[in-house]
Amino acid sequence: MNFTSDRVRSIGWISVLVVCGAMTLGLTLRVNAVKSQVHDTEKRIVWVKQDIDFLETEFQTRSNQQALRQLNDLEFGYKAPMAGQYIEGERQLAALGAVAGPGAPQPIRYANAEKPEGDESSLLAMVSPVTGATAAALPEGDEKHGDKAAPKGRDPEREAIARDAAAIGKRLARIEVAEAAQQ
Amino acid sequence: MNAPASFSLGTIPTTVSTGRRKLVNVRQRSLLVAKMRTLWILAVFVLVTVCALGRITYLGFTGVTPRHGELGDLLVPDRGEIVDRNGVPLARDFRVYSLWFNPKAMTEGSALIQSPEEVAGRLVRIFPDLDRDELIGKLRSGKPGYLRKSILPEDANKVHALGEPALEFPLEATRFYPQGSMAAHVLGYVDSYGHGKVGMEQAFNDRLISPEGRAAPSVLSIDFRVQSALEDELSTAITLSKAKGAAGVILDVDTGEILALASLPSFDPNHVKPTDMVISAEEARQGDVPHGFNRVTNQVYELGSTFKPITVASAIDAGVVSDLGKQWPATPLHVGRFTIHDLHNYGASLNVPETLIHSSNTVTARIADELGGVRLKQTMEALAMNQRPYVELPAKGFPIWPSGEWPRLRTMTVAYGHGIAVTPLHLASAYAALVNGGIWRPATLKKLGASEVPEGRRVFKASTSARIRQLLRMIVQYGTGRKADAPGFRVGGKTGSAEKPGVGGYRHHSLIATFAAAFPMDKPRYVVIAMMDEPQGTAATSFQRTAAWNAAPVIQRVVPRIGPLLGVMPDETRDIDISDLKPLVPQGSDGE
Repeated sequence: MNFTSDRVRSIGWISVLVVCGAMTLGLTLRVNAVKSQVHDTEKRIVWVKQDIDFLETEFQTRSNQQALRQLNDLEFGYKAPMAGQYIEGERQLAALGAVAGPGAPQPIRYANAEKPEGDESSLLAMVSPVTGATAAALPEGDEKHGDKAAPKGRDPEREAIARDAAAIGKRLARIEVAEAAQQ
Repeated sequence: MNAPASFSLGTIPTTVSTGRRKLVNVRQRSLLVAKMRTLWILAVFVLVTVCALGRITYLGFTGVTPRHGELGDLLVPDRGEIVDRNGVPLARDFRVYSLWFNPKAMTEGSALIQSPEEVAGRLVRIFPDLDRDELIGKLRSGKPGYLRKSILPEDANKVHALGEPALEFPLEATRFYPQGSMAAHVLGYVDSYGHGKVGMEQAFNDRLISPEGRAAPSVLSIDFRVQSALEDELSTAITLSKAKGAAGVILDVDTGEILALASLPSFDPNHVKPTDMVISAEEARQGDVPHGFNRVTNQVYELGSTFKPITVASAIDAGVVSDLGKQWPATPLHVGRFTIHDLHNYGASLNVPETLIHSSNTVTARIADELGGVRLKQTMEALAMNQRPYVELPAKGFPIWPSGEWPRLRTMTVAYGHGIAVTPLHLASAYAALVNGGIWRPATLKKLGASEVPEGRRVFKASTSARIRQLLRMIVQYGTGRKADAPGFRVGGKTGSAEKPGVGGYRHHSLIATFAAAFPMDKPRYVVIAMMDEPQGTAATSFQRTAAWNAAPVIQRVVPRIGPLLGVMPDETRDIDISDLKPLVPQGSDGE
């Protein structure tokens, strides 16, 4: 075939158009695919919002004022605080911490449970599976399992309970694994 | 083309020059066509580029246009939500399953696979409140219809497990009120045709179904916590006093917004029964009203002594009472065949603070007599006592208003709240004007912005309002309203116990006991009205039927509950200054 430069150029243009057309088609398909995904996501958002509305309504119904009043009447018996229970401002609040004057009665002290310092583990609040004692009930000066090398401020007995609990946990885990293997 | 043919014919030079010219022409034409095509393509490209740039610029300025398509509509309810002033939903659309019998679901044979008796028996096991015989009738009829509305999803699953294609459970939108019967008279309900009834559902019906009303919730002035506290305490008072009913309203004195409006006994808008709206003729004869009847805006009562501060304010305003220490005769007053007397003997004379503290009819009547019917009537008209109450609710009662010129006796009886019957909402608006500096504003159930508060109209001078604040506080400190005193909240107010009219005159044992209060009196923010309908003297109320023993304790219990919610903190070191009036009254007076 005799390819003149014009014909080659024409074929080139046509090729470029075909390629561009193919790319446009591909892009259009891709755009439509993304649009379809967006539509699906929007549908899911609508369902979730409807679910949220449903749950909100359920919570509002279960916690409506009449239900709360009945609960208060039966369980708590709370009443509106009286005028004396309000604090006027920061000055009155600060006055509560003032040093008692001479001859003033001792303030009433309330019992409360304090967490061990520097350790937020809930494990220590548990009952020891070995000794049956609670961590809080243990005497501070008990040196039965005392570790002289223990860092200052940490209770060796509580650490021992934690170790015991961990050991029990490991043993139970091992038993479960063995049973699973038999099955 | 044709050029080779022309060579063979004639003179060469001419032919050559003609052929060249033709060639030049062809070439020029081709070039022109090519240029034109290039220009066309360029123009198309420029046009596309301009369009693209234009679109990009438009999107850049306006952002992506939100689509209001099908999906967006799914989130918009069929009927707009109603919320309280803090945005807590009080009425909203909710989709629930219904049990629908569709006999055409089975294309061949009978509508049901099992016998109607068997299906009815199984349905009754799922829904024990259904009537078996009625169900059988519906299943046998072959007509489509509801077997039950509002069923739980788990019950729908149980029905599905019966394997009957004719039993369908479509998901339908219904109106739901999460707070149950709370504020039922304010909200109203929606009937089976989707029309709002009774309360704001009826008043806002057009708005709630409009595109704007569906898209954004309608905000009421009600605070649901305050509403709950008021209903709770009124309900307790009904139990304690064995009253027929009760009503209460809490109003913002500076804007006229209603924070709470309660009428008891109430109804549940989620399950409205026919008896909630209609009662028998016999019950009506006994003075009963249906539960759906709004006692605050629709029922008019003679509100008794609660009118006395209005009379005194009118007299102070007119200059009839300029010296509060002036002694007025307190002996029984004979007008024609009628005698006005007090409940107890308070001595030969009383001054104005003592008159209000003891709630003396005789002195109030004498003050009104001196004031004159014209001026008292003008005051009452300025307080809109001669019109239906100003509120959006459809149920508004017309006052029993003595028209024409008031004769002397009428003036005297109106002065202490007899011979005129208004709704508790009229009284609340009047008390707001008494204590807020003298401006009357219409009550509203719509939450108002700072710029939407109506200007109102002046009824009393600011100085008169200040005096009345002192006097109302004194009534609670030393007089008949002592049981309304909530420590630290500086409550002021007035009792009112009026006998209910019946066949052949007033019924002495059927009272309407009202307490109209405002707090805190050093700078009044809210008016609270509590009204008990026919309280019976019980051990809990020391066998008393009057407002001092029945309505006043409601105020004492409600105010500490709502005060902190509304930004009024109790303070026992603060109170209104009554030092100039204190010497005028002996401390610790008794009785109503």
